[in-house]
Amino acid sequence: MDPQEYQQIEQQNTPPTPYLKNCLKAFLVGGIICAIGQAITFLYMIFFDFTDKTAGNATVATMVFIAMILTGLGLYRKLGAFAGAGSAVPVTGFGNAVVSAAIEGKTEGWVLGVGGNMFKLAGSVILFGVGSAFFIALIKLILVSMGVVEW
Amino acid sequence: MKKLAAIVLIPLFLIGCSSEQTIQVAGITTDEEKRAEIESLIRDKKDVYTGTAIMAEDEVLIAIQVNPWVGFKEQKVEKELQKEIEEKYPELNVLVSSDFKMHWETQKLLEEEDEKKVTDEVKKLKDLAKEET
Repeated sequence: MDPQEYQQIEQQNTPPTPYLKNCLKAFLVGGIICAIGQAITFLYMIFFDFTDKTAGNATVATMVFIAMILTGLGLYRKLGAFAGAGSAVPVTGFGNAVVSAAIEGKTEGWVLGVGGNMFKLAGSVILFGVGSAFFIALIKLILVSMGVVEW
Repeated sequence: MKKLAAIVLIPLFLIGCSSEQTIQVAGITTDEEKRAEIESLIRDKKDVYTGTAIMAEDEVLIAIQVNPWVGFKEQKVEKELQKEIEEKYPELNVLVSSDFKMHWETQKLLEEEDEKKVTDEVKKLKDLAKEET
């Protein structure tokens, strides 16, 4: 059997990927997660002194926290299997990436295992966020002290 | 089933399309003329569909909601209105905000009768609007 023939047989036997169905699932679940986030924003605005501008931080923290608990309970994996990118792209996917990596390393001990693995996936995101925020703040500080823009 | 959908959807569609502005101005001690003037200033802004102004002594808090289509220009509309009102009434301490929280709180204040309470609340909300963190 030559490689071409093999490839042909392989393609014939692979079940077709249901792209449309997957997209719809991701769309729905991602939308539901975002709707929950919006509801939490409104709750913060109604019951606490948060405005549109400031409620965002609290909402993100809450959503990540919920996702972390769900990951610990093993429920987020099921959601991920069903929705794919719909559960990974919203900020909840970040909490999942941190905690699932930590759980994975638990057998190797607390420091080298959990501590060393925890930021394996999400570490680059955090580093990039902190680094870029620092440099943008620096640029803005320079522009403000030069009198080009205002705070 | 089709009939039911029509009954549910048509009113929603019509309400969604209505371009009627709801402008409410409240102020116990302010004179009628000033109130009408501010109302007309808000009404002149075609992008604003809900405007609530609370006037207490020198403090004026105006909460606006702009049409979703011009959501990106929200802050521009806010600044323009603020400038217009400040030019007309330099003695007033005006803040125009497109924040949803302000919209909610001013709606609550519309019913409030106690002048002192309104003034305190308006001052508190203005501080809150400037909060960045």
